[in-house]
Amino acid sequence: MMRNILLLAFNDLAIALKNKTILLVLFIPLFVFVSLNLLDKPNAETGKIKIGLIQDYAYPPEITRSVKAAEKFIGVTWVQNEEQGLHLLKEHKIDGVLTGNDKQPGSLALLVLKKESLHTIAIVQSFSALQKAAEGDRPSWISDIRSLHEGGIQRDTLPTWILMIVLLVGFIILPAQVAEEKEKKLLLALLQTPIHEVQWLIAKLILGMVLIITAILFLHLLSNFAPVHLFDYIALIVAGSFCFSAYGIFLGFLCRSQASARTLGVIFYLPHLLPSAMAEVSQKLTSVAPFLPSYQLYEPLQSILLEDGSMANMTFDWVYLLLLGSLMFYLSWLLMKKRWLM
Amino acid sequence: MQLDIRNLAKLYDKKRGLSPTSFAVAKGELIAIVGHNGAGKSTLLKMLANWILPDSGDVVIDGIDLRNRAAVVRKVGFIPEDPNLFDFFSVEYNLKLFAKLSRTPLMRVEEILDEFKLLPFRKSKVQALSKGLKQRVNIGRALLADPPVLLLDEPTSGLDFEMTREIYRLLNSMHDAGKTILFTSHRPEEIKNLATRIMVLHDGSVIFDGSPPEYFQSEIHEKLYA
Repeated sequence: MMRNILLLAFNDLAIALKNKTILLVLFIPLFVFVSLNLLDKPNAETGKIKIGLIQDYAYPPEITRSVKAAEKFIGVTWVQNEEQGLHLLKEHKIDGVLTGNDKQPGSLALLVLKKESLHTIAIVQSFSALQKAAEGDRPSWISDIRSLHEGGIQRDTLPTWILMIVLLVGFIILPAQVAEEKEKKLLLALLQTPIHEVQWLIAKLILGMVLIITAILFLHLLSNFAPVHLFDYIALIVAGSFCFSAYGIFLGFLCRSQASARTLGVIFYLPHLLPSAMAEVSQKLTSVAPFLPSYQLYEPLQSILLEDGSMANMTFDWVYLLLLGSLMFYLSWLLMKKRWLM
Repeated sequence: MQLDIRNLAKLYDKKRGLSPTSFAVAKGELIAIVGHNGAGKSTLLKMLANWILPDSGDVVIDGIDLRNRAAVVRKVGFIPEDPNLFDFFSVEYNLKLFAKLSRTPLMRVEEILDEFKLLPFRKSKVQALSKGLKQRVNIGRALLADPPVLLLDEPTSGLDFEMTREIYRLLNSMHDAGKTILFTSHRPEEIKNLATRIMVLHDGSVIFDGSPPEYFQSEIHEKLYA
């Protein structure tokens, strides 16, 4: 009995080796290790709060004095105006901007990306401590916190969920379906009819795009939220779903079986999802993430959904998504013509 | 000639595949392609069906170059050894899908269902059918566009006696209807009963090409099944 169990277990391991499942098992810990190393380690430099102060605003002298005295913990960037501060904030070069509070003259308003973030808590705590040390029990310097991303945690996380949907269809569902049609010789059966290869590819693209758009539409219906620039948003989703559907079809062509496609899909899915979604919590990830195609979808998504941005200032992202999608489509067509692994 | 094959070759590695091969096939011939496993039989049929691309050579089918896939698929129907159908859909769905893609009138689906005795199974999912029935659906699908040339890769492999006889009946009726048929086989009785011409492949080369009486009197037959 034991012999049979061992034989079967070895057979299963051999299958896992053959269909590359074993790669997945090795890849996930490796990915987690690399990702954790990319996250900023707590040291004096990275632990510093980076605050933007406006040159033209007359800050109370005790504030500037206290901030200067705490230069080990608070780094100051002087900006010309609030607009420049917002720009640096969006680029994650500073954690917040201190400006005058119109509602309560004499006190300050803190401008941050998200109210519910570790950076915001750190800024408020630090300034509260500085104020207590300088003035004792007086009203807090920061009397208001304004967030660039309005709408609470549900809306804040929407770009991440949408990216997950796009990548799930692109990297998990489509490669498996393409590989299945190859594995079962269904694609070859279809090519026994007068259809053109491009027609089959376009049909697969449409499938991917319909799946993605349906899922996103359903998500919006459930969350009861619509972006301000609806046309821009729809166009971005169409470009993103085109790019990642074409990408997924290409991955499917690289695999002989569904099992291989699943493994390859996960290997592509995780890196494309995490750096984009986690970029905000790490300076290092912020610098690495733009190299991933998913970032060119995630950034405009954030801008349109959370900052009421429009497509006019996202030309690079659009061109990138459309060019990458077209390249993947062309490569899939080449592999199909060559009957690659069919 | 309906099929003109010149120096057709495909090598997977140094030994396997098909060495440069030339032969011609006249309209209405029923050719059995015989040989050991790995002799190149399936490779030859798959190249003629556009499933795999040849390394070299030319094939002309009914005056159309094999490279013109969209046109040549109307001339050739290929039935692989393992039925390749959309398992989770019904027999009728499968036939209608391929009829639409081939721009064949849907009436033809009814004819195929009737001719291949598939009417009781038209709504059955393919995955619920036996291999013999699946093979019948597969042959029916290949005949939807009424191609003049049929290629069958071991059509009776894994079938029971009854189903095998049914496939023989279908092959004979297609031959009587004037189709040109090439099929691969390991079964001597199948070759004897069906073929009008026999080709033997060995290590990727044609070592015999003649009539069934010539073949069964030759040493090749004895060596092949020794």
